[in-house]
Amino acid sequence: MQVRMFSFKRYRKFILPLIILLTVTEGAAVICGATFGKLFEGLYRGIAFFGNMYPPDWSAFSEMLEPALQSIVIAFLGTVFGALMSIVFALLAASNLSHPWVRAVTRFLIGLERSIPEIVILILLVAAFGLGAMPGVVALSLGCIGMLGKLLADIIEEIDPLMIESIESVGGNKLQVIVFGVLPQIIPNIISYTLFRFEINIRLSVLLGAVGAGGVGYELDYSFGMLQYHRAFTAMIIIIAMVFGTEQFSYYLRKKLKMEGALK
Amino acid sequence: MAKLTLPSKKYRQKMTVFSAVVVAVALACIYTNFNPLGIFLEFHYVRDLLGEMTPPNYHVLSDNSSTVMAILQTLSMAFLGTLYGGVIAVIIAFLAASNTMPFRAIRLTARFALSFLRVIPILVVILIFVIAVGPSTFAGMLTLVIVTVGNFGKLFTEMIENVDNPPAEAIFSVGASRMQVIRYSIIPQILPTLIANLLFAFDVNIRAAIGLGIFGGGGIGFQLQLAKSVLHYKDVTAIVTLIIIMVIVVEKISDYLRRRILGEGKLR
Repeated sequence: MQVRMFSFKRYRKFILPLIILLTVTEGAAVICGATFGKLFEGLYRGIAFFGNMYPPDWSAFSEMLEPALQSIVIAFLGTVFGALMSIVFALLAASNLSHPWVRAVTRFLIGLERSIPEIVILILLVAAFGLGAMPGVVALSLGCIGMLGKLLADIIEEIDPLMIESIESVGGNKLQVIVFGVLPQIIPNIISYTLFRFEINIRLSVLLGAVGAGGVGYELDYSFGMLQYHRAFTAMIIIIAMVFGTEQFSYYLRKKLKMEGALK
Repeated sequence: MAKLTLPSKKYRQKMTVFSAVVVAVALACIYTNFNPLGIFLEFHYVRDLLGEMTPPNYHVLSDNSSTVMAILQTLSMAFLGTLYGGVIAVIIAFLAASNTMPFRAIRLTARFALSFLRVIPILVVILIFVIAVGPSTFAGMLTLVIVTVGNFGKLFTEMIENVDNPPAEAIFSVGASRMQVIRYSIIPQILPTLIANLLFAFDVNIRAAIGLGIFGGGGIGFQLQLAKSVLHYKDVTAIVTLIIIMVIVVEKISDYLRRRILGEGKLR
């Protein structure tokens, strides 16, 4: 018996999605102006450009350390204040703690924040406050609300209701319920999510720096603008080291917290 | 029973960490000249800006076609970045997974490539691509390809390594080649999760694409930057609302598709 390798019946349900996908891809490629000719030309130029950049300018290394520290500090402050704000939002957005109307409004705000990219927030804040660390910190903290607020609110809704009930039954008010019944249960989650958000914020602070929050991102953008490619290469090395370092650091902390169960 | 001492060791430990964080925050605030109350003290700046920003000028949509085109550019940039990035990520993931790639050297190289791409920040990538292909939507798209591979390559590798082994062993034992094992055992198992993750990647990339516009990636981010730098704040408001609507619509569509794919398992 001859076994047919390709049977139409088997792949039938894939054909319509495939046609749609190909059409959309082609349309998008036209809009983007993406062609393979341009890709190869670009690859050639990109590799030549790396040759241009190659020996990093080590004399700029020490000048870059301070902006790098600034970026880390901005990310750190943004994460701390953002986490504090997220906790407030999460408490207001949890169905077992707050009024349905408050919950609906808070959830809407969290969803709205989630759909605004941090860089847009930063551009608006720079327009309001001018350049500097402050719009960076505020943009990063606002950016936390969308992610941390939602995650923490979902966690609060799933906590053990017994603890809340027992505190309420002995006459605890809302604040006491939150401080003694809710927060102790979610603190490990808060810490691990906050550390995770810190990794994201480090990356974002590099990006935001280039738009006007200062720090090492600004140095990189500036060096590219001034065509000082060797200097830019140094900045790149520092940025990559910074991102890698904080990632390892937060991974280490999270693993340690998980193993020891400390801070519970 | 442990000896009860007050304050307990755990409490002291907690307090040490807590006060260390407070001190660090205070130092950081002093270092960057950041005054947490400043946002309230200087709130009149925000109020002034909001006054300038309203009412939003939606004529940007009808006056010239560049805004609509920019939205399309951002969408297609994110779409192509996700698609090609996803395809490349899957290929590298197959090379990096221990159950599909028998050669250790290739596996380690692929893993190294993935972890290297993961730590490169998006700013570095876009600046290089702007030099390589010129400031255009194409540069933004290539950046998103790289970023997608970096973000999702490792996840896909783990996905491939975590598939159920028995089906693969079953068809291997009746004489299937390695390619056939991949085709008939691994791909059917990972396809739904893979597509769901790519839809999620599209969500992420839309947001990234807006940011890329500012650094020469074209699209709606570029329009936003342009409107802001010529101080047309009414246009800025309009563009920001357009961005929000775009992101929410894309999120809803991808949520719907994801639920269909994961829920009913139609494409399995």
